[in-house]
Amino acid sequence: MFRKRRENATPDSQNSMMLRRTLFLMTVCGIVAFILLGARLFQLQILDHDMYESAAVEQQLRQTNVPAKRGTIYDRNMNILAMSASVSNIYISPAEIVMYDEDPALIASGLSSILEMDYAEIFEKTTHTESWYTTIARKVEDDVADRVRAFKEENDLLGVKIEEASKRYYPYGSLACHVVGFVGSDDHGLSGLEFYYDDLLSGVDGRIVRATNAYGTDMLFTDFEDYYDAEDGKSIVLTIDETVQYYLENHLETAAEQYDLQDGAAGIVMDVNTGGVLGMASLGGFDLNDYLTISEEAQQRVNSADVHSEEERNTLLEAERQEQWRNKALSDTYEPGSVFKIITLAAGLESGAVTTSSTFYCGGSIDVLGRTDPLNCANIYGHGNLTLQEAAMYSCNVAFVTIGLWVGAERFYDFVRAFGLFDKTGLDLTGESGSLWWSEDVFFNKGNLSQLAAASFGQTFTITPMQLITAVSAVTNGGYLLEPYFVKEVINADGTVASQREPKVIRQVISEQTSKTCCDILEHVVGEKDGTGVNAYVPGYRVAGKTGTSEDVVYEATHGEKKYICSFLGFAPADDPQVAVLVLLENPGPDSIVGASGGQMAAPTVGAVLRDVLPYLGVDPVYGEGEEALVDQRVPRLVGKTPQEAEALLKEAGFTLKSTVGSGAAVTAQMPAANARVAAGSEIVLYCGEEPDTEPVTVPDLLGLSYEVARVRAGMYGLYVRGEGTMMESDYILTVDQSVEEGQLVAPGTVITVTLSDWTKTGIF
Amino acid sequence: MAAKVENATSYENTRLADYTYDNSIERGSVDVPFAMLTLLLLAVGVVMVLSASFARAYYDPSSETGGNATYYFVRQALFALCGIGVMFVCSRFPMSFYRHISGIVMLVSLALLTLVLVPGIGEKVNGARRWINLGFTTFQPSEIAKIGVIMFFAVLICRFKDKMNTPKYGIVPFAAVLGVVCLLLVLEPHMSAIIIILAIGLVMLFLGGLPLYWFIGGGTIGAALMGIGYALFPYVRDRFTAWLNPFADASDAGYQIVQSLYSIGSGGLLGLGLGNSRQKYLYLPEEHNDFIFSVVCEELGFIGAILILALFAMLIIRGYWLSMHVRDRYSALVGAGITTHLAMQVILNVAVCTNSVPCTGISLPLFSYGGTALLLQMAELGIILSLSRDIPEKR
Repeated sequence: MFRKRRENATPDSQNSMMLRRTLFLMTVCGIVAFILLGARLFQLQILDHDMYESAAVEQQLRQTNVPAKRGTIYDRNMNILAMSASVSNIYISPAEIVMYDEDPALIASGLSSILEMDYAEIFEKTTHTESWYTTIARKVEDDVADRVRAFKEENDLLGVKIEEASKRYYPYGSLACHVVGFVGSDDHGLSGLEFYYDDLLSGVDGRIVRATNAYGTDMLFTDFEDYYDAEDGKSIVLTIDETVQYYLENHLETAAEQYDLQDGAAGIVMDVNTGGVLGMASLGGFDLNDYLTISEEAQQRVNSADVHSEEERNTLLEAERQEQWRNKALSDTYEPGSVFKIITLAAGLESGAVTTSSTFYCGGSIDVLGRTDPLNCANIYGHGNLTLQEAAMYSCNVAFVTIGLWVGAERFYDFVRAFGLFDKTGLDLTGESGSLWWSEDVFFNKGNLSQLAAASFGQTFTITPMQLITAVSAVTNGGYLLEPYFVKEVINADGTVASQREPKVIRQVISEQTSKTCCDILEHVVGEKDGTGVNAYVPGYRVAGKTGTSEDVVYEATHGEKKYICSFLGFAPADDPQVAVLVLLENPGPDSIVGASGGQMAAPTVGAVLRDVLPYLGVDPVYGEGEEALVDQRVPRLVGKTPQEAEALLKEAGFTLKSTVGSGAAVTAQMPAANARVAAGSEIVLYCGEEPDTEPVTVPDLLGLSYEVARVRAGMYGLYVRGEGTMMESDYILTVDQSVEEGQLVAPGTVITVTLSDWTKTGIF
Repeated sequence: MAAKVENATSYENTRLADYTYDNSIERGSVDVPFAMLTLLLLAVGVVMVLSASFARAYYDPSSETGGNATYYFVRQALFALCGIGVMFVCSRFPMSFYRHISGIVMLVSLALLTLVLVPGIGEKVNGARRWINLGFTTFQPSEIAKIGVIMFFAVLICRFKDKMNTPKYGIVPFAAVLGVVCLLLVLEPHMSAIIIILAIGLVMLFLGGLPLYWFIGGGTIGAALMGIGYALFPYVRDRFTAWLNPFADASDAGYQIVQSLYSIGSGGLLGLGLGNSRQKYLYLPEEHNDFIFSVVCEELGFIGAILILALFAMLIIRGYWLSMHVRDRYSALVGAGITTHLAMQVILNVAVCTNSVPCTGISLPLFSYGGTALLLQMAELGIILSLSRDIPEKR
């Protein structure tokens, strides 16, 4: 056996075995393996080709956004309220700095000096040599970017890069902040119209799709690039008027100061014939360019709050921010109180329940079916016999409850619905709250009329200020309920008009005749000395309106102290209403110069707004008899005239000559200065050659005086006054505020502004 | 003892009489098909290096290229020219010369494998000491060890001849040599070289006549060792996991494989065209090196890849064919060994690129960038050309 094997292992057999084994290897390594590999390639390249190709393309293609330019927000006169400006992002490519052998120290020092940044910080960023994109500064202005560009070119730096970006600017800062709104860091609207019209304003971003290498930069020698053009955002033109808005905000601020308002204020100015909102403000505004910063007082509240952790403090901070961003005029609901009597009046007249000749008797209270106590009037001694007009003038609750009861629950409810007070107004702004009313079951209860009675003078339901002014606009404009709006025009990026908004009438609620009657009656509320709204009177303009003072019953129940919302809704001119103004003053504090009431606080504020807005809107004043004397006059320019000429000019302007100092042939100086506005009848001093006296004088106490007495008293000190507030002849209208406090030293001839008010208009009406 | 064996070889072996040793016959010309296939593949390979490498050469700021897109190509082209010269020179030496120097080559291999472990001589790259820097270029001693094992085993097999079926001659000496080489490679460490050298050693023993049952037994033990390795070494397990599902960790462990599959897959039938690979733009790692075949697939498509594989298959078949026809046993063993080495590299490289086997770093002969590796490959192929000259021409 062993021999046999040895024999088998002859050279020949060995050789043939080696041949066989080589042949076997050849088959395996030269044929079989390659067939298997070929099959594998077939699987990968042919069968699964699509899958791998799409996966590969996905990682190779890079999309670059070409941001669309955000549209501009204009006010009605094309003043820019919000605009986007191009800025630049500065970044470096540390990898390329290494690749092109550039000096990181030079780059860091150059950029740090141009961008006013820390050298070490930038230098540290250059050390991340694996990175192709490291941001140095975001949203830098063009001039800074130009200096970076110059630095880059001067030193031939390929590792420093500049990228286009955009930044939102609000030239007017806090003006109409709650309406305009702001954008986040992604350039998309977060609040206000910026948010509501975001799609329109932002346009459609363009894209560049291109093949890139794994570092995200271009592939060499590949021209694969696809462009999708950006579609720039449209611009919007608002009904908001920058000037009107300014007046509104300004007077709300004055009110907040004079009446020591604890919870801010809100106001709306509306074009009653279109529904366009001319102004809308909530006090406690903020700078749109810096919307995260809260007011100093709020910051102090946050800082001094007794909290246990930073987290709690941040929660407080966030709450303060939400508070300052809150658009009270649209988002807050309240009991409108007596202002709502306008609606009750319109419903009574339109339904025929009352006529202008209806009479009422007020004994100070009225029994209402379903109530255990009688319902009290604001005047608990009773107004006695009243005409419809007097009921409105005195804001008599008893009379208006009577009107409500005569109209009846169902019809009253129908009017409320017709005036749109159940629905949101449809204003093109987010954040609008809904109203809260009794359900029909409760309201229509024949055995309990207390809900109807309370609703007649604006209690036991809540609506938004926006709903109220929209409904009242319908009362004043001939009966047409309009959909209020902010955007009157949309403009394409190329400047052409994309669309224009026409006023949208929702329905006619009352007849033109009823509307006219209502305006007439409401004019007496302001225009008569006895009217509760007299403090809204503006000489030369036929202002109409209605006061309202609401008590926050929930607050009183929980806090034990009274809290009022003083409001007034005025419109003018009464014979052809153009503009309505609603002002809400919340929670007057102890330092108020006058008592808390709509007639005492909100009416003068509305009057002040109207006094500025009406002339601005081109409504000419028509003065009644003696009215002109109440209006401040402009002192003519008298220097250079002869004393005789000067005296004549003064008379013409409604002034008298106090004295002429010196004996020169021509006037060399005058007191007060030319163009100063002072009370009519003020006594002017002329200097002919003599130098005017410059010895400071002490401001006297001018409070509690009639306008004329205040003028004379100031004149005794060589000072002048001009009036604000209720400019009307009335025994009850006295000065309640003076612009320079008693005891201050001022130059002779200084004009002190005194605020006049009918101090008797204090009460819940 | 040695002399006796020598005598036996000289006089008893009648058919495979050692003509080259006697230098008694005039040598013929080199095998033209083998030479042509080699040059063709080399030319295509150099072009592919240009296409695959220029993106990396251009972009990679941390590399030695300095942003010169043709850096790798120029160097590879120069080495290819040198390689042709080396192949020519190697084809001129008689096989008897190689037989003589076989032992020396083995000793030099072992010396270099030891030297590379010495810090300062061996360069440490990614935690492994595999390279010796010569200043103008670097080389891996393991490449020389591969040819060393082939030549030395061939000599041993010729010497032991019919004693190859006994463990004393057929196993022990070979196992000792492989053991030492593998130990040195483990110290580097260099897994793929161990695989290739073990495979070459086994193939040499297989050709040398070691009975098949040894392979069956060895295969069983090998499988068991792999199982143990899988159980013991987490990094081996990771390789297997990445192999079975590369997409599970496509950004890290499976990155190379996923990118390679993207390249191959997006090539489709006809490919993106020469020079148009997108994956080579820094997505695919080692794109001018271990994964150059993926770029070939992406640019030249299924058709081009199959053509190149066919050229390789023809070269391999021709190599075996020449080994089968040479009349000298030593030449036959060396020829088959070198051809197997070539085949192993090609097959394993393509298998790795296509994720047919777990990922390991094996370069593609005549294609992958690497100067000294290319010179050694050309030398090996030159040896085959040399033995081809000993094949008597058909009459």
